[in-house]
Amino acid sequence: MNQEIIEFKHVTKAYADNTVIEDLSFSVDQGDFITIIGSSGCGKTTTLKMINALIEPTAGDIFVEGTNIKNCDPVQLRRSIGYAIQGSVLFPHMTVEQNIAYVPNLLNKKDKKRTEQAVDKWMKIVGLDPSMKERYPSELSGGQQQRVGIARALAASPEILLMDEPFGAVDEITRSTLQDEILRIHQETHITILFVTHDIQEALKLATKVLIMDHGEIQQYDTPNQILQHPANSFVEKLVRRQRHTCLLSEDRIEQCEYSGAAAGIKTQGGIR
Amino acid sequence: MIDAVFDLLITKWDFFLDLLIEHLEISFLAIGIAIIFGDLVGILISEYQKSAKWTLGVINFIYTIPSISMLGFLIPFSGVGNATAVIALTIYALLPMVRSVHTGLTNVDPAIIEAAKGMGSTRKQILLKIKLPLAMPVIMSGIRNMVTMTIALTGIASFIGAGGMGVAIYRGITTNNSAMTLAGSLLTAALALLADFLLGIVEKRMQKHSKKAKRQNKIAGITILLVIVSLIVGLIFMPDPADKTIKIATKPMTEQYILGEMLEILIEQDTDLDVKLTQGVGGGTSNIEPAMEKDEFDLYPEYTGTAWNMVLKKTDIYTEKQFDQLQAAYKKKGMQWIGMYGFENTYGLVVRKEIADQYGIKTYSDLKQYASDLTFGAEYDFYEREDGYDALCDTYGMTFGKTMDLDIGLKYQALAEKQIDVMVVFTTDGQLADADAVVLRDDKDFFPSYLCGNVIRSEVLEKHPELKAEFKKLTGKIKNEDMVKMNYEVEVKEKEPRDIARKFLQTKGLIE
Repeated sequence: MNQEIIEFKHVTKAYADNTVIEDLSFSVDQGDFITIIGSSGCGKTTTLKMINALIEPTAGDIFVEGTNIKNCDPVQLRRSIGYAIQGSVLFPHMTVEQNIAYVPNLLNKKDKKRTEQAVDKWMKIVGLDPSMKERYPSELSGGQQQRVGIARALAASPEILLMDEPFGAVDEITRSTLQDEILRIHQETHITILFVTHDIQEALKLATKVLIMDHGEIQQYDTPNQILQHPANSFVEKLVRRQRHTCLLSEDRIEQCEYSGAAAGIKTQGGIR
Repeated sequence: MIDAVFDLLITKWDFFLDLLIEHLEISFLAIGIAIIFGDLVGILISEYQKSAKWTLGVINFIYTIPSISMLGFLIPFSGVGNATAVIALTIYALLPMVRSVHTGLTNVDPAIIEAAKGMGSTRKQILLKIKLPLAMPVIMSGIRNMVTMTIALTGIASFIGAGGMGVAIYRGITTNNSAMTLAGSLLTAALALLADFLLGIVEKRMQKHSKKAKRQNKIAGITILLVIVSLIVGLIFMPDPADKTIKIATKPMTEQYILGEMLEILIEQDTDLDVKLTQGVGGGTSNIEPAMEKDEFDLYPEYTGTAWNMVLKKTDIYTEKQFDQLQAAYKKKGMQWIGMYGFENTYGLVVRKEIADQYGIKTYSDLKQYASDLTFGAEYDFYEREDGYDALCDTYGMTFGKTMDLDIGLKYQALAEKQIDVMVVFTTDGQLADADAVVLRDDKDFFPSYLCGNVIRSEVLEKHPELKAEFKKLTGKIKNEDMVKMNYEVEVKEKEPRDIARKFLQTKGLIE
């Protein structure tokens, strides 16, 4: 199971004199849910876009499923990777059904039945009522739009899903619901997810591993527990200070936290295990 | 006035219907080409942004060329007639097209394009599935503007001998028939408004998303496309059996309209030839003569003095003693003079009666000492001619205070409204009978002789010798008084040139 699906080897990205990514190396195991966090301009979105070849690295190699993406047709590569960007950006001139069917249609134009089945399946998984198929994005609520965005990214059943601050534009309650949904989807599909966010709370809640970046370099790349317990440096410590003093573990682990209301009375040395 | 317009529309509905169809054919062809090319260019410069700036610059520059000049530039390349009109209209229609396509495509939200790209769309798929559908509202409003503009602009196409409602407008102006001008203008405006209205419906419908609306749109779209294609095909493959067709041109002058009708009536009655009559070609000799040399016209009524100075570029004053020389020079060009009508349409100067009375002006020489206080009016080609304005001023040593360019048909109105004091007239002007003006004596015989006859391409005459008899029938038949009277009937009494032509031929016993 612990098979590497994505690997960055000494990747650098520079625009003229401005180096955005400096000698970046890390790998992602199949089935991981990686959240990438850092302040604006730290290179997190650039890192994500290099995986589906929207941005080309200046130096270094990126491997997806064992193949160097330099040797891949970028169009084919992108079709095999799900992609959801900020606000999900649906195509305003297409119905919900057409939006979700976009990538399946690029892949197999002729097999209409299969595409239809995929649309039905993914609408169900993301929790959209089938009656919404004929609606246009402008007729949907913010939360519904995000769900369509996720369904669209997943419709061709990719192995990898890239998400760039997908829940940036929705209210707190909807966002929390969507976070639970994406966790559920991750558990159901065992898909590998890379999720860019600037919200540390979200990063810790969703991830199996968190990648913390600053100025184009990795500050720490570890499980949420390890990051909270052993911040690698002062930057990470500052970033997670608040989270070290509150508990945001998922429901099934909440009682293990001595500071959480759910675990009142239980005290374990070291706080979070 | 409105009654007169309605009367005209009802009694001559077939004339207007023909013009209307021709108008639609010319504008739709230009619109069709502009949509195809404009879309292509717009898409190309949007995909390759570097070329956008200079392409739009060039098109912008072309757009600033006045339409009349554009037509003038094009005549040496594509001749007179529908082709030039379509080319000029297409050029004008391109800018709004290219611009709206470019604006529409470059204003699509970049986030949407990145989403499409990130999901694995090729460049072509992004263009066809995302950019174009999203740019469609902008492109549609561009098309709507362009169509309205083109239909209106087609009105000037008749200036270079093309068809359309402009024929009615121009004929109305030339023959002092304001009902005709108004009818042509109203129909053009109505056509443009109707097109705008229909495209407005199309625009609205395209924003409807339901499946039913989309199916209806598809059916409507195919129907419209078929209608347009059949109109265009009709224009391209218009039956033109050149062998049996005599192409006659006339200048934008009332008497030439009448002569044109006479020729058509007579030739179609007596021979098995068809006549294609292009009435009132703008610019007169300067545009008809080159078209004759390119075989686009076979024959047109011309005046000897005009031919001598404008066509043969002689600088001396023409007298009828030189006719043999004129004929010889024309035969060298592959044309010849035939069927001299018998009347002379030379230039004359008139002065408003109150001015003539006040200063006692009777001759051109009398005019000299008052000229600097007077405004002189003439049609624009008088200022260009060898025997025109400059030569007149030189001969009599006079200079006018102001000069005005006026269309032949509007001169008398300008004189009546005191916008001008002195003007050039033709000795056959029908309005002369009515005008409050005094004709002055050309005491130094400045103006040359202008006998009216026909110029025909020799090749045509050899191919259809039966035409000779027709010209013979007309030779010497029309006296100056006849022509003035006929012009008067048309210009002042507002009769139809064709009716007057028929009536005259009847009195001469040439037709039944």
